[in-house]
Amino acid sequence: MGTVYVSQDDSFIGKTDERLTVKAEKKQILDVPLIKIDGLVILGRATISPAAVIELLERKIPMSFMTGTGRFLGRLEPELTKNIFVRRSQWDAAGETPKAIHMVQAFVRGKLKNYRASLMRHLRDYPDNDLQKWIDDLERAIDSLATIKAIASLRGVEGHGSAVYWQAFPKLIRADGFSFTTRNRRPPIDPVNAMLSFGYSLLRHDVQGALNIVGFDPYLGYLHTERYGRPSLALDLMEEFRPLIVDAIVLSAINRKAIAPKDFTSEPLSKAISLSNEARKVFLTLYEQKKQSKFKHPVMGRQCTYQEAFELQARLLAKYLMDETDKYPPLVMK
Amino acid sequence: MNEPIPIAALNQYAYCPHRCWRMFCAGEFVENHYTIEGTDLHQRVHTVGENQREETWQIRAIWLKSEQYGLIGKSDLIEEVDDNLYPIEYKRGHKGEWDNDAMQVVAQALCLEEMTGKSITKGYVYYAQTHQRQEIEITSELRNKAIAAITEISQMMETGKMPPAIYGNRCKGCSLFTQCVPMAKEKVSKYKEGA
Repeated sequence: MGTVYVSQDDSFIGKTDERLTVKAEKKQILDVPLIKIDGLVILGRATISPAAVIELLERKIPMSFMTGTGRFLGRLEPELTKNIFVRRSQWDAAGETPKAIHMVQAFVRGKLKNYRASLMRHLRDYPDNDLQKWIDDLERAIDSLATIKAIASLRGVEGHGSAVYWQAFPKLIRADGFSFTTRNRRPPIDPVNAMLSFGYSLLRHDVQGALNIVGFDPYLGYLHTERYGRPSLALDLMEEFRPLIVDAIVLSAINRKAIAPKDFTSEPLSKAISLSNEARKVFLTLYEQKKQSKFKHPVMGRQCTYQEAFELQARLLAKYLMDETDKYPPLVMK
Repeated sequence: MNEPIPIAALNQYAYCPHRCWRMFCAGEFVENHYTIEGTDLHQRVHTVGENQREETWQIRAIWLKSEQYGLIGKSDLIEEVDDNLYPIEYKRGHKGEWDNDAMQVVAQALCLEEMTGKSITKGYVYYAQTHQRQEIEITSELRNKAIAAITEISQMMETGKMPPAIYGNRCKGCSLFTQCVPMAKEKVSKYKEGA
């Protein structure tokens, strides 16, 4: 199972029997059985036949539409599950409730612990790298979480922890020609930020799809507040996965020189940066490989891919909200 | 009068109340290879038709209903021999260790009794895998068990209250296993998060 990414401009996505086909420049560039697909991401300008759309919806396969540079435009989703109980428990926990506080603590803790683990892993590989002060800083932020009960303050810790991590982040880049001073977006103005933003867009497609399958309303979150058109719960659940998946791919693409500074183009005046078509394909492949990579799920104690972990974490979240479990364990990797 | 209870819910409830809740309250249903085989079987069975085979009159795929118990559903097959009616439920596999299939037959018998005024003393489950009919004697014990289950299901459907997911042998082969994650309760409570 995997996600199909269509990044070739002017492609035509259609359905032939039980297969999804993609044609471009009068040539067939993809022919894959629908049973092997669990998501479709269309980047840039493409056409999709109504028959293909209907087939994907019936098979409960979500479609996301993004600009060529990976900015998220929208989704076409199968019907929500009829499980109203999940959504009711999600709404019941909204606001400054004990459950909301517990979940916000968990989302932030998961993210910061994974940030910290990433810095520590790097320090083991490169002991001369001076990362300890940031690691200590993150540790203090993590330790403080359990005693903080106000969601606004938890957001403050999340903001502080993220700032610490992004300060340390340039130290993790070990290839010439890439620089990173601060996280920027809309639009990203350097190659590292361009890749991070692209990766988070792809991650959002997957996490939101998992939440939809479980029956959540993706627009009601706890760490992220309600705002028109913002899938807050998807952003909440994404937090623990960001460092594990996207940041890890960006760093490995750079450090293993899979993607080089020449693979980016810059717009005049706005300085908005985007990946070349070739580099985008490389990045999409890395992302898909990462999602299919296996690890031992620390809670369930069994082998699992990140793709499966999105849904599993969403299910664990539903179980916590519906009082089946007494806590929500974020995915924390050593 | 509440929403009628699908007769099939009795089977699911006897197998696992949590599964029954997921299917009939939360509206979740996922096909796996067991259910697909079952559906194929039922497509043959669920085509209305009647015929006479020697002394036996057979009618397939008719609606069954009971006002008294608030039941509704479709029968696979009803036979009449010597003025005696009995329901036959078709199942894909072989006889399991749970009496869930029997519950479904008893519920059909309750409907048939109300619809015809005749008393039903036995029914059958036909297991496609072994091509065998298992006779179900409709004892007062089974009747009471089915009636008690109907009351519980009716309450569950009205309140939406979820019976707990309990991990056990029957989880193997359940088509809702991925949604249910029945081991999660124990695993989460034992889990110690790493630093």
